[in-house]
Amino acid sequence: MKTNLDNVRNIGISAHIDSGKTTLTERILFYTQRIHAIHEVRGKDGVGAKMDSMELEKERGITIQSAATYCNWKGHAINIIDTPGHVDFTIEVERALRVLDGAVLILCSVGGVQSQSITVNRQMTRYRVPRIVFINKCDRTGANPYRVARQVRDKLDLNAVLMQIPIGLEGDLKGVVDLVTMKALYFEGANGEVITEGEIPAELREEAAAKREELLDAASMFSDELMEAILEGTPTDEMIRKAVRTGTLSLELVPVFMGSAYKNKGVQPMLDAVTEYLPTPKDIKNTALDLKNDEKEIILIPDPVAPLTSLAFKLEDGRYGQLTYIRIYQGTLKKSDTIVNSRDGKKVKVGRLVRMHADEMEDIEEAAAGDIVALFGIDCASGDTFTSPEISVSMSSMHVPEPVISLAIMPVDNKAQVNMSKALNRFTKEDPTFRTYVDHETNETIISGMGELHLEVYIERMKREYKAEVQVGQPQVAYRETITQRADFNYTHKKQTGGSGQYGRVGGYMEPMEEGEYEFADQIVGGAIPREFISSCDKGFQKSMAKGTLAGAPITGVRVAINDGASHAVDSSDVAFQLAAIGAFREGYQKAKPVILEPIMKVAVEGPTEFQGPIMGSLNQRRGMIVGTVEEASYTSVEAEVPLSEMFGYSTVLRSLTQGKAEFTMEFASYKQVPKSVSEEIIKKFQEEKQKSK
Amino acid sequence: MLKEDLIKKNPLRVLNPLTPEAFPDHRMGLVMARAGLGKTAILVQIAMDSTLRGQKVLHVSIGEGLEKAKAWYEDVFKYIAQGFQLENAAEIEDEIMRNRMIMTFKESAFSRPKLEERLNDLVYQNIFRPDIVVVDGFDFSKADYDSVMDLKEMTAAMNVQGWFSCLRHREDNRVSAAGVPAPCHEVDGLFDTVIIVQPEKESILLNIIKDEYDGAAGKILNLDPSTMMVKEA
Repeated sequence: MKTNLDNVRNIGISAHIDSGKTTLTERILFYTQRIHAIHEVRGKDGVGAKMDSMELEKERGITIQSAATYCNWKGHAINIIDTPGHVDFTIEVERALRVLDGAVLILCSVGGVQSQSITVNRQMTRYRVPRIVFINKCDRTGANPYRVARQVRDKLDLNAVLMQIPIGLEGDLKGVVDLVTMKALYFEGANGEVITEGEIPAELREEAAAKREELLDAASMFSDELMEAILEGTPTDEMIRKAVRTGTLSLELVPVFMGSAYKNKGVQPMLDAVTEYLPTPKDIKNTALDLKNDEKEIILIPDPVAPLTSLAFKLEDGRYGQLTYIRIYQGTLKKSDTIVNSRDGKKVKVGRLVRMHADEMEDIEEAAAGDIVALFGIDCASGDTFTSPEISVSMSSMHVPEPVISLAIMPVDNKAQVNMSKALNRFTKEDPTFRTYVDHETNETIISGMGELHLEVYIERMKREYKAEVQVGQPQVAYRETITQRADFNYTHKKQTGGSGQYGRVGGYMEPMEEGEYEFADQIVGGAIPREFISSCDKGFQKSMAKGTLAGAPITGVRVAINDGASHAVDSSDVAFQLAAIGAFREGYQKAKPVILEPIMKVAVEGPTEFQGPIMGSLNQRRGMIVGTVEEASYTSVEAEVPLSEMFGYSTVLRSLTQGKAEFTMEFASYKQVPKSVSEEIIKKFQEEKQKSK
Repeated sequence: MLKEDLIKKNPLRVLNPLTPEAFPDHRMGLVMARAGLGKTAILVQIAMDSTLRGQKVLHVSIGEGLEKAKAWYEDVFKYIAQGFQLENAAEIEDEIMRNRMIMTFKESAFSRPKLEERLNDLVYQNIFRPDIVVVDGFDFSKADYDSVMDLKEMTAAMNVQGWFSCLRHREDNRVSAAGVPAPCHEVDGLFDTVIIVQPEKESILLNIIKDEYDGAAGKILNLDPSTMMVKEA
């Protein structure tokens, strides 16, 4: 099947948690006839919505993993990536955005633009994703799409333009007025599948005319043709749509639609908008790095006959082996083709090629540029590039944040031990922000990630999907150590009694470095340390960087230079100089005034204004630095920088402080030095643990 | 350059000498300009100078978002750090941020009682006790004498300095006897210091037309139009 790229849309559905995006996706699948009945996220029928394929998601009513699904709408092929709404899973959102051409940003008509929407919007801007807005839940008490559209302008700094106005609101929501055609749209039938067009109700005519004026004003900025037609009084629907499309693709205009997915209102016009205003794969410029030409950037051509370039953006381990979601940027991917993983140069043969529909799939023979499909049985990591054998390019790497929190897990029995390893192996492949290692001193398995919830979800998944029951330790913050001043060292490692001897002397200095983790400078003149042992010194220093003496945390931001030393004709060796460097590092480190650094999180708390005082107080108590507050009529948000170690259990505290009316999000901001009193405590604890393990 | 030298060499020393006892804590200052001439930039520089000297500044922004206010501070600091090759820039920036808090209000949500309530929240819980409150975006054209008086009383009662920005409109030519233009011509008596921003052919002048404490009245500073940084004339 050859697809015309003009009729392909790769879109993401991104939003704040609980703004109803899974419900909306469910409706889209129903209207595009991919499913034949609607199940609610927290439905009484116990089936759960289609996109929440994991059991856990069904139970919690939140979407954790983005599942890709395919549907058809009025002759257009639409690939939808359902993305998680919680900031702890940001890597999932970012990965989805990387492979998408456009997105629908869902906002709740009551809650409006909340901090998570701001994060998601910032990510969309980073990846230059054109977007449309759908204001959902217009049937709820307190719904006000006009206010939300204003917030989109003020808080997200987007040129939001209403394309519709609601007919009735809250319990009276009947439909919408299309400001392009100036017709009223009503959604009838058991599931809103019958759309009736009618005249605009008399009481809304004036408002509709005024809002259409605003729409025309905004759209005419992108089309001279439309501007002239407006002056002559003859703008056509087609001209308006074309201008809105131009504005949307240039990221300078964001059309706003509205409705209620739950009440089956306004979803089909939103689907029309996806095909009308969001980009085709041809509209987006994608680049890759030419590995044969010094990683020079090249532009990919979405042409099915060009050499294949594709990106594996998501892995899942299913019943039939590893499933790899792949976005094709150039060329065609066919069953039984041989393709190359440009990371390791390994050739792989394409076995099964499938199109995904939540957790069901459909076998296909080939897929071309612009498409999103899945491959079976290919061993790779997420973010790998696959190409035709004749070219060697790599898609630029994705931005992957470092984990900031870790905790120890202990399997309860042998069976759990085996299952836990399997689970960890899969999770780390799927999610680059989730890492695991064994602490050799305590023999514990440590998992680390982006937040408490992030780790909690993986522990739950281990239990449910792998039957791996584990005991969980206290969450630990990923501290770092660094030095604050220059210090000299001059250390001799000498072991010359009995057996083969060891001798090496290393002299030099270490100093703080603002950017970067470690740097080694060889300033030896006159061969005080023989050339062959210089790299031994470097190795010794690097080994020392792995664990500081204050809290046993990795050391960062140190430049080490060696400028003196001595060797022995027989007793000097690689090992002797490594050990001398380790000794020298230890000596210098003590003198260089080392300090402990801790991860600082950017925390945003939102809630009713009356709770602003207690919210600020609670952040202040947690060593938080309040950056600022934003106050609107009855709603306020407080932004602060708070040490991660103080944020454990904050959700419970916040809930009780604000009667459950406030919520917060946090993301990693930077590493900062811990205050002296806290530092002393951390050192004391580390020393005690060290004693215990002895 | 060291932080101490930066403080000493700041052209704003004309307004704020290093002997703070020269004026009471609750001084009221006003920066007036037409749109786009750098009101916010001047307020941010006044605020930043105070934070460098260890004072705490509450920046109140009316009608603008938090991100915009933050960006102003970041930009101004960047110019200072690069322009003066400031030593320990990261550390100093951190110190400035600790001494600064931003509050943004929707125009309709701002009022004296609201601001006072927020300030009390901060002070009573010992979260932040400002020495200076900088108010950017207050609409003087809609405010009467009593409401400005009200704000002055509040700053006096809380023992903080207040610095305000005011937008001048081209078409309004009214002016007070002291030379303070509309819309502040009727409330000029409530301010101790008034700075008028005037564009000239190739530069922007900061005309200090009134100053009750430091004898800065009549002095002129310059604003670099490309960076919006205050310079000596």
